[in-house]
This record gives sequence, C-alpha cells and structure tokens, in this order.
Amino acid sequence: MGTRKIKEEFENEKTIDIQKKAKELGLSNDQLVEMYQTMVEIRHFEEMATQLYALGKVHGTMHLSIGQEAVAVGTGLTLQSNDYLINHHRGHGHFIASGADVNKMMAEFLGKDTGFCHGHGGSMHIADVSANNLGAQGIVGAQMGIAVGVGIAIKIKKTDQVALVIFGDGAANRGIFQESLNMSSIWDLPVVYLCENNHYAMSVEVERVSGKVPFKDRAKALGVPGYFIDGNDALAVYEFMKNAFDHARAGLGPVFVEVETYRILGHSKSDRNLYRSKEEIDEWKQKGPIRRFEKLLLEGNIITENQVIEIDKKMAKVIEDAVEFAENSPEPKIEDVTEFVYA
Amino acid sequence: MPEITFRQAIHDAMVEEMRRDKTVFLIGEDIGTYGGAFGVSAGMLDEFGTERVWETPISEETIVDSAVGAAMVGMRPIAEIMFMDFVTLVMDPLVNQAAKARYMFGGKATVPLVVRMPNGSGAGAAAQHSQSLETLLMHIPGLKVVVPSTPYDAKGLLISSIRDPNPICFIEHKLLYKTKGNVPDGEYSIPLGVADVKRTGTDLTIVTSEIMVHKSLSAAEHLSKEGISIEIIDPRTLRPLDVDTITQSVMKTGRLLVVHEAVKTAGWAGEIMASVSESPAWDYLDAPMRRLTGKDIPIPYNKFLERAAVPQEEDIIREVQAILNNEY
Amino acid sequence: MPIPFIMPKMDMDQENVTIIEWMKKEGDQIQKGEPVILIETDKITSEVEAPATGQLVGLLYQENDVAPVTKVVAYILKEGESEADLPKVAKSEEHIHDKETQPNKDEPPEKGNASNLEAGAFSGDLANIKSRVKTPATPLARRIARAEAVNIDHIKGSGPRGRVQAADVRAFLEKDSKEIIKSGRTSLSGKTIDVSIMRQRIAERLTESYQTIPHIYQTVEVDMSLFEDNRRILNENAEKENQPKISLTACLVKTIAICLKHHPYLNASLDGEKISFWNEINIGIATALENGLIVPVIHNADQLTILETNRHMKALTARAQAGKLEHHDIQNGTFTISNMGMYGIHSFTSIINPPQSAILSVGAIKRRPVVVDDEDSINVRSIMMLTLAADHRIVDGAVAANFLLELVNKLENSELLSI
Repeated sequence: MGTRKIKEEFENEKTIDIQKKAKELGLSNDQLVEMYQTMVEIRHFEEMATQLYALGKVHGTMHLSIGQEAVAVGTGLTLQSNDYLINHHRGHGHFIASGADVNKMMAEFLGKDTGFCHGHGGSMHIADVSANNLGAQGIVGAQMGIAVGVGIAIKIKKTDQVALVIFGDGAANRGIFQESLNMSSIWDLPVVYLCENNHYAMSVEVERVSGKVPFKDRAKALGVPGYFIDGNDALAVYEFMKNAFDHARAGLGPVFVEVETYRILGHSKSDRNLYRSKEEIDEWKQKGPIRRFEKLLLEGNIITENQVIEIDKKMAKVIEDAVEFAENSPEPKIEDVTEFVYA
Repeated sequence: MPEITFRQAIHDAMVEEMRRDKTVFLIGEDIGTYGGAFGVSAGMLDEFGTERVWETPISEETIVDSAVGAAMVGMRPIAEIMFMDFVTLVMDPLVNQAAKARYMFGGKATVPLVVRMPNGSGAGAAAQHSQSLETLLMHIPGLKVVVPSTPYDAKGLLISSIRDPNPICFIEHKLLYKTKGNVPDGEYSIPLGVADVKRTGTDLTIVTSEIMVHKSLSAAEHLSKEGISIEIIDPRTLRPLDVDTITQSVMKTGRLLVVHEAVKTAGWAGEIMASVSESPAWDYLDAPMRRLTGKDIPIPYNKFLERAAVPQEEDIIREVQAILNNEY
Repeated sequence: MPIPFIMPKMDMDQENVTIIEWMKKEGDQIQKGEPVILIETDKITSEVEAPATGQLVGLLYQENDVAPVTKVVAYILKEGESEADLPKVAKSEEHIHDKETQPNKDEPPEKGNASNLEAGAFSGDLANIKSRVKTPATPLARRIARAEAVNIDHIKGSGPRGRVQAADVRAFLEKDSKEIIKSGRTSLSGKTIDVSIMRQRIAERLTESYQTIPHIYQTVEVDMSLFEDNRRILNENAEKENQPKISLTACLVKTIAICLKHHPYLNASLDGEKISFWNEINIGIATALENGLIVPVIHNADQLTILETNRHMKALTARAQAGKLEHHDIQNGTFTISNMGMYGIHSFTSIINPPQSAILSVGAIKRRPVVVDDEDSINVRSIMMLTLAADHRIVDGAVAANFLLELVNKLENSELLSI
C-alpha cells in the first residue's frame, strides 16, 4: 500500500519520449507491446461485432467502444486481479482489457450457453463475478450506487481492494452521481470513478446538457478529488490510473477522473449518426488512440512495421477463433429459461 | 415464554444475526443515535459501531444500490428504507439490479440482501407516508416479499430473510410496532413461503396479512357468537406464495374472503383469487370469492376519512355475513 | 475469390432497404470505406460504404429495387480476378421487384380482424348464454349432485337469482327422512338413517306407477299337482347325473313367455297416445336384496329352452346377490314376475313396473282339500295362487282373463314338463 498522493492539479503531459516515459512508469518494452496488442484486440473484437450484426447474427443491439481503446487498456493494466470492476453498457473494451476470455464474450454475444452468462444477459450484461467483474449495467448510472456498496464491503472486510466504476458523460448527469460521490467522500471509500466523456450521451452532445460546470469540478464540490485527462493517450491514462488506485488503496478515499475520448460509431446499432457531422467523425478518427500509440512505439523503436502487421493478423485470428467457438457452441436449453431466478 | 413488541422482535433478529455473522450490516437513514425512524435500531450503533451500522445521507437509490453491490461481493446488508412509500425511489435498484443480477449473469451472481420498509395507514401520516405497495414488489421475479403480522412471525421470518441468499423485501406495518406477542428465548427461524393458520374454522376462509390479521381475528371472535366459524390464513410471505395451504382451506370451507389494506385494483387479492380458481378448490366453492380491500384512493389525512379508506373490523363482519347469507 | 458485398442490417427489426442510387457503377474501382450505395429505410436515407477495395461488379439489384439486408447485393473483384470468378447466382438471391412487396389489393381483409366484429355482437349472445345454463349452481352444489347422481335441474335453488347452493342439494337428498320424522313422531326415539339412492329410486318409481297406472287385479288358483310331480322326478334324475335342478320360477317364466306370444297386450307399453307391442319377451324376476329390490331380466325368454332359462336365472340371481348386476341385466323388461312362495304367502298383489303393462304375483304352493268335480269328491291337491295386475288403460278385464286362462291350462297340464 503506497502513500503517494496525486498532485493537486494533474497536468496532462503529452507523451513524446516514450522510452523516458515508460521508464518513469516502470513499464518494460514487452508490457508496452502488450498494451498495443490489447488495443488492437479490442478493435478487432468491436469490428467483428459490427460485422456479425450486419450479417444478422446478433440478436438485439450492442454498444461499441471503437475509438475508446486507450482508456480501456490504460485502466485495465492498473486493475489488480482482486480489484472490482463495475462496468457500463459500452464496456467490451474494459472487459477485454481486464483479462476476460474473448471466446466466452463472443459466445455471450451470440446468446450461447458457453457465454459468460449462459446466454441470459447478452452484450449489455456480461459479467464474471467470480473474477470480480461485477457486470455491465444497462441502467445508466446504477453502477455508481453499486460501487458504494462494494466500497463499504471492502472497508468492512479491511482488505486493500479497490472498486473501479466506469460510466459515461451522460450518466454523470444522473442524481445518483451526487448520491454516490457524496457517500464515497464522507466514508472515504476506496472507489475510483472513471467517467468516459466521449462527447455524446446517445445523441446529445455533452456541452448542451452538462451545464456550466465540468465534471471534475462537480466531483470536487462533492468532496472527491477530480481530474481531467486525455483519454486517447494510453500511457497518460495508465499513469493517472496508477496514481488514482494507489490513492484509493492507501485508504485516502475516492478519486474521480474524466477521460476525454471519442466514440467513432453511433451509440448503438440503431444510431444513424444524424446528430454529428462526418467531418467531426473524420477529425477524431485522425486522433485515434491506436494510431497514436502505434506511432509512438514505432518512433521509439519499440516495435517494427512488421510486428505491427503481425500483431494485426494475430489479433484478427484470435477474434475469428472466438467467433468460431461461439458459433459452434450450443444454445441454452429452453427448459433452462426459468433457471437462475432465485438462489 | 416472554412477551415482547413487534419492534423489539425485529431489533432482536437483526442484533442476533449481526452477532452471529460478521458479514451482516445495517444501512439506512437516521439509524444511528436516533435509533431509526420507528426506533427499531435503537442501541445498535453503540454495540456494533460505524463499521456495521452505516448511517447515510438522504440517498435512497444509492442506499439500496449499494446494498446490491455489497451483497454481490459477499456481504449480507440490511437496508432500511424509512417508509414503503419511498420504494418508488428504490424501484430501479430492487427491480433492475437486485432482482435481475443473478438471472442476467447466468446464475453467477448472488444478491443476499434485505430491504426493510414500514407500510400502512392509521397514523395520520397522509398520502405519501401511508401506502401499502407490496403488490408492486410481488410482481417481480427474483424478489421475495415478506409480510409478518406478529412478533413471533416477525423475528423468525427476518432471521430467515437475512440468511436467505436472495433479495428480500421485508414489510413492517407501522401500527404493529407496539403490539405484543410471545416470542421464545432461544434461536429459531420461520421458513419463507409457508403460510400460517391463525385460526381454524369451517364456514369461511379469510386470507389476510399484517394488521388485517388482527382485525380479522376480532371479527371472527365476534362472529363465533353467532355460530359462524371462520378460518384465518396468514400467508406471511407473498412471494413465494403458499398456495397449497390456502386452497386446502377453501376446499374445507367452500368460501373465500381476502382482506388487505392495499388498494383494490390490481391488488394482491386478485392473485389469491386467481390461484384458488386455478386449483382443485374451485370445485368446492359454494359462494363467489370476495375481497375486502383499501379503496382506490390515496390515504386521506382526516382520521375518520383515513379509517374509512381501509377495511375495519365491522366491514369484515358485515362482509362475512353477506357471503354466508348468499347475498352475492 | 471475389469479396461479397453484403447489404448491412442497421436496425433491430430491419428486413429490407430500397436502393435509391448506385453511387459507383458496375466496373468502377472502389476503396474500402467509400460510400457506394445510397439507400432508404423506413424513415431515412443513408449511405452504405464499401467493405473492401477492388472493382465493383455483379450488381444483383438495380436502382429502386428492394434488397434484403444481410444478403449479397454485389461483388468486389480483387487484383487478378475477373467476372469469371463470380459464383453462380443462387435462386434465393434473385431480384425482388417492388411490386411483389406490395400487398395484393384484391385480397379481402383477413378474417378475425378485431375491427370486423360488429358492435353489440356480444350482447346478442348473452341471451343464448342464459338459456344454455338451465340451473345456476355453485361448483360445490354441482359436485355433490354429481356424486349422488342427482339431476341438479330437479333441485330448487335458494341462492340469489335462483342459484342452487350445496345446502339445497343436501336438503333434497335428505328430504324423505326428514319428512318421515316430521309427521307427528316428535316424542319417539329411534335410529335414523339416510335414504339410500336405491331406495330413493324404488320409491320414485313405485309412487309414479301407483299414482298413474289404474291397476286391475285378477286371481286364479292353479292345480300344480301334476306339474310338481313331474318336476320332482326330473330333478331327482338331474341330481343323480349332477345336473342343476330346475326351479319352479324358471318354469313359470318359460310358460308365461309362451303365453305372452298370444296375448300381446300384456307385453306392451303405453306412451302418451301410442301403444307399443314389443317383439321381444323379456321377463323380469323381482329379486329381494339385503337393502332393497332389484328386477333382473331374462331376455327373449320365449326363445330359450327351459334348461337355458333355468341357467340364466341362476346366474342372474347369483349376480344380483353379489351386487354384480350389469346394466344390460336390468334393462328392457316387458313383463315381471314376483314369487313370494318361499315365504309361504298364499297370494298377494304387486305394483306394475312401468313402462310394463302387467305383473304376476306368485304365491306358495299349498296342499289343500279341493273339490274334484268329475268325481264329486274331495281330494288333497297342490294349489298355487296367481294374481295378475294389469294396466287397465290398455288391458281390459277379458284380455287379462284370457291370458290367465291359457297360463293356468298350460301349468295344470304340465305342458312344459312331461315325462
């Protein structure tokens, strides 16, 4: 348990010299490559999900996080295996980054019995409770309330676990935001609040509905140290989250961070992207996290062009295998429809 | 056997379980020094400290949502929501989180929590603090709903609820807190989903709960002087419901009257009557099934109007007589 | 292999899109991500991007066509490929022209559509429903009535709207015993039992017969001396050969059957304004049981031999005593005989079994001094008294008497049994 406190105002230093930064953060080259690989894996997963949907193979809808991979990876690397993850509906990236088995994820997507939830939850409700993955919430913001409970449990048990709760700019407007941060603050709960500001709550841009006060300042007003960082810089995310987790683990109370990122695709599959222009989307595509990180690694000689191609192929195969696994898996039995209601 | 109040019985159940099981804790508003809005948690902060008694700001949604979170990671929280009327604020945590987690996550999550809520009218608390909304909760698969009527039942059922691995709504009628009853000293529990025959009889079955059990018992006493023998069934748990005990009673008496304080339209009397209708007891009915319930109105303030809003002993007597006289 | 260009599904319930414009034409080079097709769905127009880079060929749908989602609409040739590499188009992928997706306007609207129901259609039915249920009754009342084989339509209901309650059915079943007790015996003590169903039935039938059929009675004496002598000899032989003994009643049944052939009015039934003369002669034999009376029937008695008659009778009696009679055994009797001889009754009258028209009461054979006319002296003879009751609405005195005459003749001459 460290005693490092986060600086009062966290300066978002752009990562220019990756060798230096990595050394500072104690990351080896292999770890950097793995981060990159995971981002590519997430991207392939999400793109495959889109394809499967277009082919009519996915029942219902799904919420993709293409463009938000750096947040997932930077955070996922920080999470210890006994920390709790409370996710939201746009959470595939976070699951993968926290080490979830993509085969079981894909199977759950296709509603199969071998999925994480035996096909009972689907894309929006993937969970692996025994691995401390407490599930993705479909009720926007509810996870903030659940996180308080997890924090309480950690305090009663007196362990050094941390509860990471993830939500979006839209959820941050809910009343439960205030209730949750207030309670975490008064009780110094070990909760890290990660707000993924991808600029749109469904179709409404954040500036229009989120009032005049930045989210980090709202957190501060409730007694929780609040920060803002560039979410498309994987290392910046990692650096911040590491500090935040140390802070919470040290018993110093909750931390709030707003990470700025951008959602390339629509909110869900029914989204026609009518509320934003193509130019805007294109602009953000250029700033994309994977491209950025790739550039850094190439420039820092940590990775070669060939390796980039190899990783791309390798991750594509991992995802294809996951699809094959899922498609060959059985559906849950109809008789099981009444299973799992009560313990 | 010592006699204690309904309030004391609930207090004792929580205290005994918290002593026995360190994962049990209490969370709610004004439960600390104040001892809870109805005095149920008096002394618990002193005994268990802030680690086990979490006094919260006014944040109902998070009170129950956090109970869900804590329950999912191995604790057994008891959340106190001050009035059942505020269940509206915790419907999302109860319906979409607590009741769904296990199912959505393919059986991989368990949510052992208890939400305690005082309900009922008669205290002059008016429209927003006097409702009986247990029907709304009875409708949700994944939840259990418990409605004790005596101190003995309250303690035994609460202990079972705390030990149950499912999310449970434990409803306490405000006017019952000061009522007394015999409660054994030693450890005991009452299984959920088992009805209790509060009075045996042969002419008519009354199915009723909470304070209406007591009004029905008085009515039955009065009617026995006219030679009418009433059987009273207290389901004690509304979900899961002990349909068998009810249908066996109706097979014996041939007549059913459901009495509850909750409002008539879509009230749980309909559920009882439909269940009896679907059962073999149908062939034994010698009169139409009837229900005596709260009127379809919010609870008024004026004490006479308030009294008129829900069934009283004289209403029960009259209704029973009407059924037996074949007025329907 | 050319890359299939699949029309993507973009909405949960979507099945089709309309192609507004091919922004790239057949043969054009296209880049991955470039907009290629302008499509229209229910409410909105949007663009479909190319899934890969290459040459756009093999367009399967034209502008203004409706194309299904998740299906191939064109192909993209990679470098080095040509149209020869295109797969053959499967039948299912062929065009769906606009007009096929329009509903056929000539077809009549579907039946069972809610709007087709006339207003008030239900109220018209209510009258029908009322008449379908003759007697409203509670489920418990019906249950008891069913168990006791009582017709609920016969019971008066004390409930609202004339509804029969369980109490009404119970009252109906107990009515008889209650009425007997009511008639002035308030100070007596004794055992009271419920009236069984059998007794109820018997009581109903006999009362009906007694009250509706005008009975006439005729009594004759029959000299059975010769008959009984013959029968005794026959039975002694039968015993030696281990054959069953022939009963008197069997002989009577057989003899009566033969006589009835010549006297149809005694084997008939009156129904309103019609008289039915039955072809079959089915003779019922009144049999005493422990708790009542039952009348098993020998069917077609006229066609049976005496031995057969005897055998049938013994079987019937045995079944009756064991309570194992079947429906067939007691159905369709056309004449009844009641024999009280074994009790020493010398003569008696019986009540006709409706819808029969007659019943014969047979008394004991007694040894009596009788005047033998041709010898003008007194002898001791075996005398049996027969009393015939007949339905005077269709059987006149002379008709009855003639039947008895023939019967007496045949018995006295022992026609049936001759040695």
